[in-house]
Amino acid sequence: MTVPTNPLLHYNPYEAKHQLDLSLAKAYLLLHSQLKPPFPLTIPSPSEYALLTQALAFSLLTQPDLTKINLKHLHASATDGYDIFTTTLLNLTDNCYPKLLPVPRTQLLFLCSQLINVAAFKVDSLVISLLRRINGGDFTEPNLWLCAELAKILSDNWDWLIDEPLVLTSALFVFLRLLADHYRLVSGPQLDELKRLEISFCIRVLRNCFHLCLGIGRDLIRLLQDLFVIPEFKELWKDLICDPCKFGVLGFSDLCDIYRIKTPRHYFLLRISQEMEAQLRFLLTHVKWVNQQRYQVWFAKKYLSLPGSETVIVDVIRFICQCYHPSKEIIQSNVISRWAVIGWLLKSCKRNYFEANAKLALFYDWLFFNDTIDSIMDIEPAMLLIVSSVPQYMEITHCLLEFLFLVVDNYDVQRKNVIAKGVLGAFNALVKRGVVHSLEVLMNCDKLSPFLREKLSKFLFDKALVSQEKEIIQMQSGDHQDQIAGMPEQAHQWL
Amino acid sequence: MPKQSWMKLKDLTPAASNSINATVILVEKGNTIEEDKEKTKTCVALVADETACVNFQMWGDECEAFQPGDIIRISKGIFSRHKNKLLLRAGKRGSVEKVGEFTMLFVESPNMSEMRYMPDANQPSKLVPESQLTKP
Repeated sequence: MTVPTNPLLHYNPYEAKHQLDLSLAKAYLLLHSQLKPPFPLTIPSPSEYALLTQALAFSLLTQPDLTKINLKHLHASATDGYDIFTTTLLNLTDNCYPKLLPVPRTQLLFLCSQLINVAAFKVDSLVISLLRRINGGDFTEPNLWLCAELAKILSDNWDWLIDEPLVLTSALFVFLRLLADHYRLVSGPQLDELKRLEISFCIRVLRNCFHLCLGIGRDLIRLLQDLFVIPEFKELWKDLICDPCKFGVLGFSDLCDIYRIKTPRHYFLLRISQEMEAQLRFLLTHVKWVNQQRYQVWFAKKYLSLPGSETVIVDVIRFICQCYHPSKEIIQSNVISRWAVIGWLLKSCKRNYFEANAKLALFYDWLFFNDTIDSIMDIEPAMLLIVSSVPQYMEITHCLLEFLFLVVDNYDVQRKNVIAKGVLGAFNALVKRGVVHSLEVLMNCDKLSPFLREKLSKFLFDKALVSQEKEIIQMQSGDHQDQIAGMPEQAHQWL
Repeated sequence: MPKQSWMKLKDLTPAASNSINATVILVEKGNTIEEDKEKTKTCVALVADETACVNFQMWGDECEAFQPGDIIRISKGIFSRHKNKLLLRAGKRGSVEKVGEFTMLFVESPNMSEMRYMPDANQPSKLVPESQLTKP
């Protein structure tokens, strides 16, 4: 007699069943009769407990009618702080989320909120994995639904959230990033509710937990810039620039205090999916020069083909610069270099707006480069893309250098010297560490436009940069009106 | 029941038996055409692993099921001549399923479908690629 089960995952024809699905279903088939009361009063052995947890997970995900009884059973039997149960859901999220059918998907989010209620072990990791599952540049209904669900769950569990700084700041990072796309790229009544949720969540976090938000570091500014058009964020910007004390955080009196803080690398994982990460790591670890073409076509077809989806290129570039630092062996081998993959990604941007943001993502670590806290590997890809494009692809070299100087002059006019110092430090470090032998390759390049050669020369030997410390002190006590006028511009206006 | 042994494409030799077990990645897909009087759909794709590539023929709804970049596991497939072309296919007794995407290295030569196979001098019943012929 076969036991009827509801499916957990969606399979296309000829698709192999997923191992996790098979083992959860197997556990359910073995123990389904024990999921009905009366529940045994004996304490199960560790392996019995693991099997029971898996059976319960399968039933909870696929049989919503039995939720009440299954939850009772789960709460009654949990002896490990729900560790195995949450880990099971975490594995499912990391490995199978895109294949989850609608009912299990809804149940998964519901179970996540239940686990938050009981402060289950590892529920913080589950939330972060789910946040990663909100695809960038994907405006389809299931994806926007996930976004709204998570925003609601986190807003409804504020007391839990403020005791979880990592989840709090990760969620802020994610929703700030998504808001930029939701506000700018799509419109519609369903989206209005989502945008309202996102804005309200982000502003609440920023206004109430700014001391924790500082931990995000300089990329927080990059994210906030794109939201300047939103009225609530415009107000926030006014306070950031003119009334930093309003945030009541010791150690924050100026934007420079945020620029100084390097964004921890794990934030950059948040905006690329688990599969995208695996594919990028594979490409940059194993695929040899010349062979990358096919993989690039497949990657573009999967992630960059829908309108608006190229917005994710910004996040991919941050990931490559910050989260993937190849070993010496890989650099010296024939594996494709990061700068080449980034070059391809930049070329894949169809609209100026995305291209500008992508270039900013590439150079962002240059702007505040500090040799003592930043890694040379964060800035290496941009430098190598610039010099490797000489002489065959001079348009790339020109385009990148022009952009770099534009950013130095316009990114934050009031704090231009800080940024100039950062970029100068980046150039110096790149030469010092041997990423490039010297900058002569650019300064003496006759294919490089005279304008850029002169600009580069002037920039590198500008004695005024030495006295920038004095100017920063002066600026901090300056006229606020000037500072409002000098608020950070958005990237796309620089073209 | 003999245990399934997994092979590399470079070791493919034409045979009438369905004994090919291999994991490959689909590199490029040809057009789907309708063959014979019954209008069965077929489609030939280039599949590959780290050692070689081969032309893989899909039948019926297999044609829509697989896309470039898919990692495919072929069980009990058959590598034989069909209308004067050497093709790998699942065949009536074999199966083919998608097990992943993207994360597999491959080469685009040699193509085992384009090899000339000759009887091995020492074992005339066995076919080997011309380049691997042993001297008698």
